[in-house]
Amino acid sequence: MRKITMRAALLEALNEEMERDETTVLFGEDVGKFGGINAVTKGLYEKFGSTRVFDTPIAEPTIVAAAVGMAITGNARPIPELQFGDFVGIAFDEVFNKMGKWRFMHGGQMEMPVTLRLPIGIAGGAGPEHSQSPQALFMHGPGLQIVIPSTPYDAKGLLKTAIRDNNAVLFFEHKVLYDMKGEVPEEEYLIPFGKADIKRSGTDVTIIATALQVHTALAAADELAAQGVEAEVIDPRTLAPLDMETILESVRKTGRALIVHEEPKTGGSGAEIAAQIQEGALFDLSAPIRRIGSPDVPIAQSIYLEQFYTPNKEQITKVVNELMEY
Amino acid sequence: MAETYVKEVETKSYTKEVLVDFYKTMAKIRKFDENLIKLMAEGKVSGFYHSGIGSEGLSAGSIRQNLRDEDYIYYNHRGCNQKIAKGVPLSKIYGDFLGTIEGTTRGLGAGIVHSADPSRGVLGQAGTIGSQLGLSVGTAYTSKLTGSDQVTVVYFGDGAASREMLHGSLNWAGLYKLPIIYICENNEYAISCHVSETHSVKENIADWADGYGIPNCVVDGNDVLLMHEVVKEAVERAKRGEGPTFIEAQTFRHRGHFEGDPYDYVDVEILQNWKDTKDPITNFAAKLMLDKVVTEEDLEKINKEIDVEIAEAIQKAEAAPLPNPERIYEGLFA
Repeated sequence: MRKITMRAALLEALNEEMERDETTVLFGEDVGKFGGINAVTKGLYEKFGSTRVFDTPIAEPTIVAAAVGMAITGNARPIPELQFGDFVGIAFDEVFNKMGKWRFMHGGQMEMPVTLRLPIGIAGGAGPEHSQSPQALFMHGPGLQIVIPSTPYDAKGLLKTAIRDNNAVLFFEHKVLYDMKGEVPEEEYLIPFGKADIKRSGTDVTIIATALQVHTALAAADELAAQGVEAEVIDPRTLAPLDMETILESVRKTGRALIVHEEPKTGGSGAEIAAQIQEGALFDLSAPIRRIGSPDVPIAQSIYLEQFYTPNKEQITKVVNELMEY
Repeated sequence: MAETYVKEVETKSYTKEVLVDFYKTMAKIRKFDENLIKLMAEGKVSGFYHSGIGSEGLSAGSIRQNLRDEDYIYYNHRGCNQKIAKGVPLSKIYGDFLGTIEGTTRGLGAGIVHSADPSRGVLGQAGTIGSQLGLSVGTAYTSKLTGSDQVTVVYFGDGAASREMLHGSLNWAGLYKLPIIYICENNEYAISCHVSETHSVKENIADWADGYGIPNCVVDGNDVLLMHEVVKEAVERAKRGEGPTFIEAQTFRHRGHFEGDPYDYVDVEILQNWKDTKDPITNFAAKLMLDKVVTEEDLEKINKEIDVEIAEAIQKAEAAPLPNPERIYEGLFA
């Protein structure tokens, strides 16, 4: 099968869905002629024209608010982008209260077909406000679906589903993954939300990881296999809805669970997953549930210090070995 | 600087039917409001209520005969005035206040904000004051996308005009030449703060629009016919593809910001003067009678009919059941 980068996979999804549905409209800072600072939207402006693909002023609250205002007319399917996921803080009210709650607050009378794309993650000295992974904040916000792919295949299938969905979607893209290649079939496919993917099967320990950390976990699993420990690596792919069924089934089998993410450990998505594991499978556990996240301090600008925020293979193997002692 | 909108408007330029419609709409808004306050006093309605008494002309004049069902509005924090003018059934608005399933939210309940009637272009409202300014440019943009001549009218108070969202909104509206009409209902007070204490303007709030190259004016918001004319011109401009208009409509609220507000931050003489000399309904009724469009008996008859309509609406809203508790789990997702 052909291999393409996640950037190319995302662009294919955008191209296909914008061709398929002429009510789609894409906008954000530098997404038009320039093609996006991550080059994910290259060529769309030329292909679909300046009404359906347009550059906006630097105004994140208005970008998200406008998407909401378009969507609720029932005549548009907006695909806005925030240049950095960190900027969601500027548009927090629009995301948390408007995108997430407008439909419900008004009695369910309108739809919210908005796919907000947010590039996230530590990617080379970008500092404390261009490197964060704020997705867990929105697990606390009803009405928002949270998508976080780890491979080109997942990214394409999930983005196509997101755009067709009539509900709000926050689509988090880890910047380091843009250049990562993976198998993507030529033919069309969609990936449903709320369906975790078992990236590697194993019997001894369950590692739940998201985005870039799926790859760290897989690398650690290879090393653990050499030591005779078989790790099962699960990628939830969507944090809301969250496929606890697949996670619990795995934990019941292995009796050990480790959650790995680049988010700060405290209040990260791992906290919720851990809580739900103990609610659903406490007596199947042979060891405490463990989490690896970023330290609970702002991300340092220094490219030297930055590496200490990203979970690594050694941390994972060490914690798994500790779990195996129970 | 924003100019004051001046136009000789005579009743003879309108049909009797249209003039009576303006009167009826204003009277209906006021009676709706008075009856809602009664329901609050009876303990049947909880939450906040921002009475729109004293500003009915602004909403009736701007909406009636200017906007179609397919034109969009975002109402403001005294927005029952605009919802009623746009034709949302009274029983549905009362139903939202009472929390019965007659409400537009089918029992979730809504105060002034959060009721919606998309079939009449009423797309709802944010609890965070002024947030509609951001949504409205998106809504107006869809007319560009679909090539329709639908216009979007966004209402907001002088207080909401302080929100950063106004500036993001005006920038987009001017930049993309959106078919949108900004109506700033300037009643001078954001709860207790006078506009002069919270806004850095040359003279008027509408002056801000000037900086964005958006045509703007200040108008007497309590003159229903003047309101009608100024908005009519703005709607026509929007439909011709000439972009946004900013209208600052000056008015005053007869009651406090919320029911229970002591309203002691306003000079009693100033308030009394607004009530005595600038009441939009009293003045319009006098004009209609002076110009012999209607008689006092005609108006009495209209008012009686509205009383009946309101009583029936309240009865319908109250008679409807409260929702099942499961209602809160419905409608989050499509």
